[in-house]
Order: sequence, then structure tokens, then C-alpha cells
Amino acid sequence: MFLDAVEVPTPSKKMRDIINIARSPRTVSPGKAVASPNKRLPPRDITPTRTLPQTNRKPPSRRVARPRSPSPEVELLDNPVSEPQSPTTPLDSTPAEPSPVDGEVAALPTSLGHQLSTLPSELEPCLEAQKRATLRALHEISALPQAPAGSDDAEVQPPTNALAYEQLQNLLNGTVERGEGNSCLVVGPKGSGKTQLVERAISSLSEHPIVIRLSGYAQTNDRLAIREIAWQLTEQTGRSLLPADNDGVAEDEDENPFLDKDNKPATDSAITLPPPSHLLALIAMLPTLARPTVIVLDAFDLFALHARQSLLYCLLDTVQSCRAVAGRKGIAVVGLTMRVETINILEKRVKSRFSGRIIRTAGHPTFDSWAKAAKDALCAPADVDQAGWHDRWTNAVANFLGQEQVLDSLRETYSLTRDIRVLSRLLVAIVTSLKPSSPYPSASEFAAAVAKQRAPPRFSFLTSLTYPAVCLLIAAMHARTSGHEAFTFEMLHEAFREQVRVSLSAPVTVEGGGIGMVRCSREVLFGAFEKLVALTVFVATGPTAVGIGREFIKYRCDIDRTEAKNAVESFGQLNLRKWLNKAN
Amino acid sequence: MAHHLFQETANDDYNETVSQLLSLLSSRPPPFIYVHDPCTPRVATSTIVSGLRSLAHKPHTNMTFACVNCLACFNPRLLFDTALNALAGWSPTWEDGCANWGGSLDGQSQRFNENFDGFTHGLRTLWNDQLAGRLHPPPQASARGKATAEARLILVLENAEKLKETMPDLLAPLARLAELSRVDITTVFVSEVRWDHIRPSLSAAPDPYYIDMSPSSQQSIVHRLASSYPSDEPYDPEQYLDNALDPYTYHPAFRTLYTHFVTTVYNVCAVFTTDVDDLAYVAAATWPAFVRPVIDEYRRVVLERRVLERQEAEEAGEDVPDVLEEAAVDKEVEISLAPPPEEARIRLTRLFTPSITAAFEVLYPRHASVATWATANIPPANLLMLPPQQVPSLISRPSEDHSAEPSLRQLPRMAKFILIASYLASTNPARTDMRIFGRGPDERAKRRRKGGSPRKTTAKAAAVKIPQRLLGPMPFPLDRMIAILGVLLEENDADIRPAAPEHTVPGEYTEMEISRVAVFAQVAELASMHLIHRTSPADRLEMSTAYKSGIGYEAALLLAKDIGIRLNDLIWDPL
Repeated sequence: MFLDAVEVPTPSKKMRDIINIARSPRTVSPGKAVASPNKRLPPRDITPTRTLPQTNRKPPSRRVARPRSPSPEVELLDNPVSEPQSPTTPLDSTPAEPSPVDGEVAALPTSLGHQLSTLPSELEPCLEAQKRATLRALHEISALPQAPAGSDDAEVQPPTNALAYEQLQNLLNGTVERGEGNSCLVVGPKGSGKTQLVERAISSLSEHPIVIRLSGYAQTNDRLAIREIAWQLTEQTGRSLLPADNDGVAEDEDENPFLDKDNKPATDSAITLPPPSHLLALIAMLPTLARPTVIVLDAFDLFALHARQSLLYCLLDTVQSCRAVAGRKGIAVVGLTMRVETINILEKRVKSRFSGRIIRTAGHPTFDSWAKAAKDALCAPADVDQAGWHDRWTNAVANFLGQEQVLDSLRETYSLTRDIRVLSRLLVAIVTSLKPSSPYPSASEFAAAVAKQRAPPRFSFLTSLTYPAVCLLIAAMHARTSGHEAFTFEMLHEAFREQVRVSLSAPVTVEGGGIGMVRCSREVLFGAFEKLVALTVFVATGPTAVGIGREFIKYRCDIDRTEAKNAVESFGQLNLRKWLNKAN
Repeated sequence: MAHHLFQETANDDYNETVSQLLSLLSSRPPPFIYVHDPCTPRVATSTIVSGLRSLAHKPHTNMTFACVNCLACFNPRLLFDTALNALAGWSPTWEDGCANWGGSLDGQSQRFNENFDGFTHGLRTLWNDQLAGRLHPPPQASARGKATAEARLILVLENAEKLKETMPDLLAPLARLAELSRVDITTVFVSEVRWDHIRPSLSAAPDPYYIDMSPSSQQSIVHRLASSYPSDEPYDPEQYLDNALDPYTYHPAFRTLYTHFVTTVYNVCAVFTTDVDDLAYVAAATWPAFVRPVIDEYRRVVLERRVLERQEAEEAGEDVPDVLEEAAVDKEVEISLAPPPEEARIRLTRLFTPSITAAFEVLYPRHASVATWATANIPPANLLMLPPQQVPSLISRPSEDHSAEPSLRQLPRMAKFILIASYLASTNPARTDMRIFGRGPDERAKRRRKGGSPRKTTAKAAAVKIPQRLLGPMPFPLDRMIAILGVLLEENDADIRPAAPEHTVPGEYTEMEISRVAVFAQVAELASMHLIHRTSPADRLEMSTAYKSGIGYEAALLLAKDIGIRLNDLIWDPL
């Protein structure tokens, strides 16, 4: 049984093949497939180390490029990777062409030699400032203006978000200036700039309204929501909450929740909520305030899940019955949600009070606009006094974004998610890793960031498990192959003991040492078991009854066979590998 | 000593990641960061916190942070109060009734800790204070720089995976804290499980910025362990006397020896665990024994020299002081202490490696404490003088008082029978009882006739059968256990009972024995000792009560040996 030890399993190679197959239709577009196979052969973009190979690589690629298109007006020249393709790709209409990124890059022939080497010490503060500016820009990346869709077409559509902004602004203006009661719903996928849109619209208003911000995540029931409304109201209005000549329509003066507040001495910073019995009457009082009110409901769909939707009913009812009468101010309810059918989950009486106005936001419509956002964020202006820094940096960024490998990753990301915050995370990861010894973004760093941030590995620690833990994993795999998805510690321990016994019984020695497995006491094994449970590699299958010993609780293994195999491979003990291979 | 353990100076991937995180936090961090450290979450937190502390003390920063342990803060109120107190730099004092930080709310009915909304309001108050510079008034020199620096709050949540169990409703709001409170606050979760495992459903929380800590290398683990060596200046021998250690056990002269020793401990134990805490535990238990021969040797040398000097002085006819006075000897020993030579170190390592393994076996499951192990394993004083063949065993395990063995043996005889009967009832399938315990003249013939049941044909495709003793005890009705008890008693107990001639039918005596009230009382008492567990609800009277055995195979074997039952003959699938 030990003779077939030389067999070398190749899971990683297989995996690579699978990945290549999966990726190939995406990376090779039909236009390029004919022209470029021999160009792709040298692995020029696979750079294990960061600085040196790139400096070595640059001059030849430029030398190749020069004779083919010598005129300096061709701006694509500065993108060394896309150069060889440029003659073959004019018909290629996929958005893969990185033209909007490269198009704005001015040629900087002198700085190229220095660019990828280490940074001179006088520029280090510049790098720090640039990092800070870039991180700030990345923080607000969803507020960046989007490029219009179909920019080369004749009819240029305004971007969705600009349209949405205009609609929302009109609506809020109506409330603030004409005292209307308005309600609307802003619907859009996550990361499409809903919150930013609302904040911008509110801050652009001519008069400062009272803004009440609620969120379905924090206010999980109506009681909390109403208390929060009261708190925010008292914070924003202070003593001027009520106009002196308050002529309430429905309520008589005694029920006014703010009346006793007027009699109080002026302690402006003090916050006193009206007594709980008055809280419900609060919403109906909103139009009588001295200023118009805007209520922003984040995660609107969660409010619709509250009991009887009473908060929404009260708010929308107040909005609907809001009349433009002298002395009354407007009120607007703006709901934000990413749930598309939110309006369908409203009860009939709530829905009939809702205006039905839906404003939609969207993420970046094309890949070009997405890549442009990346470039804009990266090239955020930093306030540095070094003259050459800005050019140097923009050049490096353009160079970085022009690399085929980076573009591929970006395109892949864009096709997976339109959430701009994912892009922001990727770029933050690169920017933080910049240091004076490698001052410019590089493709290898980007690949690492993609692996870490986009869909992080489930069990990154599998390669560093200890011997008992690996043994338990293998035993769990054996339990699975023998048809027992759920196992107890006792079962794994028994399997381990049996395997140790078998491996020690063979009187074979290799190079003077036995090939048996190391013994391990039950307690040590149980310690490793508990660690695996804490790391959620082993997950309890159900609630545990009272009186079940810890060793008899049933678990299932959350790791599939390939991952376990990789873990055992990287652990590198032959007898463990053979033990795992028996579980087939 | 524990706080020494995590001072980080080694330069590796780990520190690189932490310093990147700190530089991110000091510039413009994403609002939600998730630090995943599967191996050493405590080290990760302490490294981050100490980094943050030094960042916060730098001039030109306006940053405040709080570190909240979600294990300690098990309800929202505690969490909010701890965070706000730490951010405000407020520590409750006994004199003012241990009041929490109240900010502008002092004397009001509102509270910042009441619910999440209150917490966000508290954060906003803090934030406004910080913007105005009222919080942590800066020293005069850096006052101008403060004006330009961005204010920032940072909330570090340690053991964040506990939030999923204790307050799942808070996960999404905490992840969105910056957005909900509208202040520049960054939430940092530190946990040993990945975010996927605690993520709230329906994408209620935004995806964090992931930071993965790589596992520590051997070098950094050893460094971490070695840096736990006490660095008292001046050295105070008295403090180790309480633990019955040699006063010079942790003398600064042995620092390099300790580093070598820790490397040995790592090499011995790393196969089984690389957890820094466990390694430090083993090292603390075995170091006193390891260094003791060296100290003894120095002490012997000093004493010999003194004796020699006195002899010389006596021969010369001089007046001799009492050179063997203890304090003077100790002083000279302390001065003479130095790292031992290379070959002595190698010899010590070879001698003590087995005892490190033994210590690990006992200490890892915490069967003994460090102090117990250290005092039980003091080597003979002349160890280094002995030739290798005469070295005695250096391992003496402290008496194992953790096992339940003695208390089991002291049970009454009937209780032992009941425990074995319950173990058998819990492990054997009920359908095999007839075969194992059936004792009748025609039992064999009956079974033959029933043989060839259709079950044999269907059982082919089923999964591999797992012995019941690996799956845990099955519940059984009390009647079944009593019946098994009857068989056990009839075969192993009937002979030694006092004669009772009034019982003429075979088995009648046993039949009477098992229906005694004492047996049922014994069952109830064993259940109260959790040696058997009642599985049927206590308030259901109409059904037969069900129980489950609470002892394992080893305990059952031990009891069976005590009362002379051959247990393996009675188990359906014996070991």
C-alpha cells in the first residue's frame, strides 16, 4: 500500500484548467481572437515581484511600438499593452477598449524611466498626500458624476442619476417653496448612490427644512421610530418648535404635545421628549411646524414589515391631507429602498395614500464609465507643492489602468457586480499598499486585492492547520464518504485511532525512520476539534439536547473535498495524503 | 506576565498588515472594516489597540477610539455604555455613583444607552464635542495643528462573532454606524470567524473592507514567547518565593537561555498546537525545572569555594567569619549567575524534552495547573553532575484528581448494577435484547424459526453502520432497563444473596429484588447525580419514563470489573 506513494495528485493544475476554461470566452473577444494568440504567449503581465521585472520590461515594449506608429499624435502610444492590438481592433465594438482611460493621458516620455523605480525621498510627502486625497475620493466614489450612456451616439441620454436628481429636487422644492405634501420612493440597487442623491438634493434646497432621518435597520419597530422622530424634532427645532398662533385643525390645544415645552425656561441644549402618550399625535402635527419637513426613510421596505404599517400609514396620511393653507408648511416623505417590488408589499390603505412616484437610480451604465470612475478617484487632486508630482502620478495611474490584466479584472468585476463600492474597496486595497519602495499601483497588487476583497476565500487558514486538525478533517472526509454527513467527535477519534494503529503496524521504515503517524492523545485531539468548531469549519447540525456529552454532539463539515485536499497537500505528510485518498 | 506576551516587535507579514490598517485608519478609512484572524485574534486586537493608542497620542491627530469586547458586553446597554465611556475618556467613579458618561443629557430622562438611536445621538454629541475640541483638550503646542486635522472616531469590536449570538439585531446597524449616526466613525470588527458566517441576511449590512491576518511564523511565535520573559530592573528574587520557585528562576542572566528553551518548547509542541497561550502555559510550567539544575550548580560552586576558603583560613590559623551565612551566599550566587555553556544547554535540552511533552499532555487539557506541575517536577539538585545512565525520571505527574474514577467506585453495589444496565440499554439496539439476554429453554429454537427475515436483503445498500457507542447513548424506557437489570442480577448476584427458601421458582427472588422501591429510588438518585439522564419531561405522568446513560465505555468497563460482569459479552458490537 505504500508503493504507490509517488503518485502526484494535481488538483491545483486541474483547477487552473477549469479557471482558464471559464475565463477564456470573456477575455478573448472575437475580434482579437484571430490576431493576438501569438502576442499572448509571452507571459508579460505575470509579475511575481513588483518593481524589477517591470522596469526591465518597459523599454522593449516601447521599442516595438515606436516604429509601427511613430507619430506622437497617436495618444494610444502611451499605453504599451494595448499598442499591439490597436491595428486589429477598430471594428471591435465591445466596451473592452480602454480608450476613455488612455485618451486623456498626456505623453510624458521623460518620466517613464523613473516611474516604476523607488521614489526619491523628496517626493515621499507627495505620495502620502496623494494617498490621503485618493482615499478621500474613494470614500465618496458613489457621488462621482456618471458618464452619460452611449456617448458616441447621436442622442445622448442623460445619466439615470442626473435625471433622478432633477426629479427629486423638483419634488422637494415643491414641498419647501409651495408647501406641498409629497411622497416618493427612490429605488435602486445597492451602491447606486441613493443616499448621496437624497443628501445632495436636500442640501441644495433654498430654505433649510427640518430633516428627519430614519432607517429601517435602526428603528426596528414603530415605537422606536416615533421616539426617534421626536428626538430629532426637538434637536432641530428647539424652542421654536411651535409658532405662537398655532391653529391646529384636528387637535384641540390641550392635546398639543409641545405646549408644555413653551412654558419651560430656555434651556436650549436640553432635550426633553414629550411624554409617551403624546408621541402618536406628533406626526399629525408635523405640517404645523414653522419650517417644512423632509422625512427620509432609509430601508423603506423594512418599515413596511412593521405591525400594520402604522407608521407609514400615519406619515403618508399626513402627507396626503396636507393642504396649502396659510400658516401650514409642506411635508415630504422620501423612501429609499433597493427592493424593487416594495410598493406591492404596502397595504391597500397605505398604498392608496402613497403618491406612487418612483424615482430610479442606477449604477454606472457602461464599463467605460465604471473605469472612468476608477481613474477619477485615483487621480484625485492632492495639494502638494512639488510641481512634477501630479503628472507623474496621473501617468502612473493611466499606465496601471491600461494594463490588460488590470482591465480584465475590472471587466470581470463589472460583470459580477455594478456596486461601485466593490470597486472602491479594490482601489483602497491598492492605495494602502503603496509605499516609497513601490510608489505606484501595480497589476500584481491589484490581483491580490481582487482575490481578497471581491469574494474573499472562505477558509484562508486551511494551509496553516496543525497536525491534529488535519487528521480530524481527513476523518470527517471519511465519515462523509461512508455516507454519514453528520458525525460526532467519537467517530472521528475512532477513525483516527484506527488509522494510527494501521500505520504503525506496518514494519516499513524509510530512511531509518518509521512512517507511522504520530500518536495524539484524546484531549489534544478534542482541543483541535473545538478550535475547528470555533472557526466554523465544523458546524453543529441541530440544537443540542440537554445531557448530551460534548463528544456526542453532531456536526457536519463545512469544507468540501477539494479544499480538504489542498489543506492536506500543503501540510505535506505523505501518510496523511494517502489516508485522505482512501476516502473515495 | 500575560501582557508582556503580546508586545510586538518582530517584523513579518503580520505587522505589515497591521501597519497598513493603521495607516488606513489614520488617513481616510472605509466606514466598516473586518479583520479576520483565525489563529490569534487576541494578538490582533492588542496589536491594533496599541497601534491606535500611539496614533491617538501623536500631535496633529484628532482621533479617539474605543475597544469593546463583545464577550464582556453581552447586551446592548453594556456595549453602548462601554463604547461611549471609552470614546469620551470617561471612567465611572465610586463617588458619583458610577454614573456613565451622559454628555449634555445630564439630569434628563433621556439616556444614550437605551437603544441604538440613543447610541447614535450619543455619538453625535461626542462628535460635536470633538470638533469643538472640548474632548481631550490638546496640549498647547499642538493646538494649532488640531484645527486642521480631521476628527475621527474609531470603534473596535473584539470577538465580533459573539454579536451574532447575543445581539443579532445590532449587527447591521453597527456595520452601518457611520451612515446612521452621520459622524465620521469607522467600525472595526475583529474576529476569528469570517464575515460570511455572521453576516446578516438580505444584505442588510454593507460588505466590509476585508483585512486577513496571515498566521504567525515560527519566528514570530518564538519571539512573542521570548518577549514574555520578565524584565525587572533591578531583579527582585523575593517575588518568586510565593510560588515555591527558586528565587533566581527568572534572573535576567538567563534571558538567552530562555529564548533557546522556548524554541525547544515550540519544536516539541508545534505538531499539536501553535497557539501562543498554550505554548506560554507549557513554558511557564517547565522552565523552573529546566533552569533549576543551572542555579543549583552555581550555588554548589559558590559553597565549595567558601568551604575551601574557610579550610584554608583555618589552616592558616586565622579568625574565620561564618562564611556559610545564607544571605551572603545568596548574594554571591546572584552575582555569579551567567548563561550556562553551550554543552550544558544541549544536555539540559536533551534531558528535559520528554518532560516538556509530558507537561503538554497534562497541561493542554488543563488537568493540572502551572504551579502544581512546576512544584511537582523539581529535579534533583545534582542533576548536572550525574552520568547520563543514572539520571532519574524527570517526569512526575501530579495526582490526577480530575477523573471521576474514585467517586464511581464508591457507589453502592446496586447502583453499579443499575449503571451497567443503563449503559447496556443505551448502547444495544432494543431488537437484540432477546438474543443477548433471552434465557429460556426454547429460545434458540424460536429464533431459528424466525430466521431468514426479509431485512437481510434490504440492508445491502445502506450506509456503513456506526457503532452506537460512537453516536452517543440512546434513550430507553425504564422498564427495559429494569428487565436487563434482572438478567444481570440473576446471573451475577443471585449466588451471594442470603438464602431465601420461600422462593422456589427459579428467578423469583430476583424478580422480587428488582421490584423493590430501593431500586427506583436508586435510579432517581443516579439521575440527580447526572450519571443517568432523564429524557422524558418531568411533568408527564401518563407515559413510561425514559432515561439515557450518562457514563462512557471506560467507566462502564471499570464498574463491570468491580462487580464481576464480563461487559464485552453483553454489548452488541463490542470494541
